[in-house]
Amino acid sequence: MSDKAMLEIRNYSKTYGGEKKAADNVSLTVMSGDIYGFIGHNGAGKSTTIRAVVGVLDFTEGEIFIDGHSVKTDPIACKKITAYIPDNPDLYENLTGIQYLNFIADVFEISAADREARIKKYADTFEITDALGDLISSYSHGMKQKLAIISALIHEPKLLVLDEPFVGLDPKATFTLKEIMHEMCERGTAIFFSTHVLDVAEKLCNKVAIIKKGRIIASGTMEELTEGHSLEEAFLEADHEE
Amino acid sequence: MKNNAFLLLRTLLLSTSSINILKHTTDKKKKGRIIGGFVGLALLYAMLMAYCIATCAGLCAQGLGDSVPAFCVMILSGLALVFTFFKTNGYLFNFKEYDMLMSLPFGSAAVAGCKFLYMYVKSLPWYLIISYSMMGTYAYFTGAGVLPLILWFLLTFFVPLIPMLAASLLGFLIARISAGFKKSNVVQTVLSVLIVLFAFSIRFILEDVFRNDKVEQVLEKTSDVTEQVIGKYPPGAWFANAVTGGSILQALLLIAVSTGLFLAVFTLVGRSYRNINSSLKNHAASGKYRMTSQKTRSTLQAIAFKEFKRMMGSTIYATNVGMGEILVTLVSVATLILGFDRIVDMVTQNAPFDHALLQPAIPFIVYFFIGMVASTVCSPSLEGKNYWIVQSLPIEKKTLYQGKMLYNMYLTVPFALLGTLCMCISARVPFLNAILYLILSVVLCAFSTAWGCVCGIKHMRLDWENEVEVIKQGVGVVIYMFPNMFVVMGLCVLTVVMGRAMDHKLVALVFIVIAGALTALSYRKVLRLSRERG
Repeated sequence: MSDKAMLEIRNYSKTYGGEKKAADNVSLTVMSGDIYGFIGHNGAGKSTTIRAVVGVLDFTEGEIFIDGHSVKTDPIACKKITAYIPDNPDLYENLTGIQYLNFIADVFEISAADREARIKKYADTFEITDALGDLISSYSHGMKQKLAIISALIHEPKLLVLDEPFVGLDPKATFTLKEIMHEMCERGTAIFFSTHVLDVAEKLCNKVAIIKKGRIIASGTMEELTEGHSLEEAFLEADHEE
Repeated sequence: MKNNAFLLLRTLLLSTSSINILKHTTDKKKKGRIIGGFVGLALLYAMLMAYCIATCAGLCAQGLGDSVPAFCVMILSGLALVFTFFKTNGYLFNFKEYDMLMSLPFGSAAVAGCKFLYMYVKSLPWYLIISYSMMGTYAYFTGAGVLPLILWFLLTFFVPLIPMLAASLLGFLIARISAGFKKSNVVQTVLSVLIVLFAFSIRFILEDVFRNDKVEQVLEKTSDVTEQVIGKYPPGAWFANAVTGGSILQALLLIAVSTGLFLAVFTLVGRSYRNINSSLKNHAASGKYRMTSQKTRSTLQAIAFKEFKRMMGSTIYATNVGMGEILVTLVSVATLILGFDRIVDMVTQNAPFDHALLQPAIPFIVYFFIGMVASTVCSPSLEGKNYWIVQSLPIEKKTLYQGKMLYNMYLTVPFALLGTLCMCISARVPFLNAILYLILSVVLCAFSTAWGCVCGIKHMRLDWENEVEVIKQGVGVVIYMFPNMFVVMGLCVLTVVMGRAMDHKLVALVFIVIAGALTALSYRKVLRLSRERG
């Protein structure tokens, strides 16, 4: 693991309609090479935090830095090194898969040779090469999810942010994605993802944060958090204490 | 980043391009629908072209050829302003792929600017057809030289920009204000309606001003109105002067101001773009609900209620479908306050005729507003990705469409009755005639509902990217709206003509029977379509 902070969230808060705090003073740091799991109940504030990290959601309280760049003041620099996969990706349905991947590759200025190699590699891995010439509207949910994953990997981001990435994937694709996440982490990419699947988080992550009602109630390395118990037990205990 | 902006624009256009779908889809039915759509569009373009040529030929034949460029710029600007205002919310804000786009390395101003340019390019064919038809007619009748025509050709691309920017800025301000409220969608809808009502009253004020000029000839009046409007709208004058006087300086001025305004508006919009979209797209659950006793509804009522909530949740849906009801209320109140005769005088420019002749047309005048867009035309398509919900319910398709039709009846009938009643009172229509007009109004609502549903089911499109595509640009809407408008105008005239030869009660009865028969046929078609596509 490297000691370079790739994602730093400092005292981030988000209030909707001046009433309820969807995120309340959230602070955490994801280092290069970390696979950081973000777990919590439905509506706990996971997606609100993730969407602020990737520059989609506006916020006023706190600061978020990606590789030292502020999401607030230098969003473009942050987005150039970040990839985001939402839980339910809204892709351009009337483009073909290959047209969509080329669009993303063009945005990130990937050379023709590199994009061809990467698209081939990942499309073969996820077994959707044959479908790349079809309109996205004809894809199943899982295929769309795979396409969104490929589009996120195509520019080799330094920070990969995923919101419930395993929802809708078949077992083989889930395994493949986990393998890719390991490979990326070995290359120094920081991965920050939310999940409900505690078993996956326990096996995959080296660090975890638990969020409840917008507040981080526990965070640290997997060992620190579980202290010899399972993540499920640790989660339920932290949840109960709060 | 500039290259990226063009890349985004290109992708936005490609992602909604029918040609791209035609090229890549293997679905034969889809291909057929697209080709049918092209044919329908070509027919509409041809109709529009013919209308523009005929209008300009009329002006030229009256020796008013020099007014054609000003007339053209007035029409283009007016259309650009109105149509953009209704589309801004769906195109610039609250769009589906917002998260995906904003997570990519695009600046906020670039995303907003590209969305605007996308809207501009999509509406450009309409503007080009209007302008070039008028240009051809102008050249034919006035023998204009090459330079004016070249300038006309080029400046057509810039003329719609300023009104479109003005409408977008207005839409932006509404969104900016609404974003500060908890129920931002409702506030946005109310503000949009208020703006339209304001614009509507301006139209009457203008008409009143011009009426005082006592210009008698319609074409001369058109020319006069055009000159007066252009006199108050410098970009219009620049276009007219560039074309009629060959002024390259004024042509350059129009290009520079349009481009400069575009950059200024989108620098401004870009500053709070993320903030506005964050507020419009995200709502926290209050978490304060406590279980209370619940109401039950029949299946049909439940579907109708769902339709009501769907409409209230979308500014663009509510403003487009509900505008007719709001306008008819406005007209009804105006009729009661000002009197039927005065309103008729205003509309007909004090034409000397017996206003009682217009009485049989009252239900059609009301229907002109009410039937503008039926909710049933777009509601089947608006199910979109939620279509699985109704598909998986243990109900027949016909029940779903009956629920949708029931909602349109709830929406239209009270306003149709109010409008008809106000006009009948104001025009002192005899009691029995008024009863028949009220019945006819309800039957026309039923026709609009059922015929709208036929168009909506036949041209149902669930794979839309933006609801504007089905509410404003859907094939079903076009097929429903245009013939409906023209036929109703024709029927207004026909009832007046028939009313001169027949008893007004008999005229109303004839149309009740005809509209009732057409409603029954349309309803049967809905039932058949729901069986075939079930």
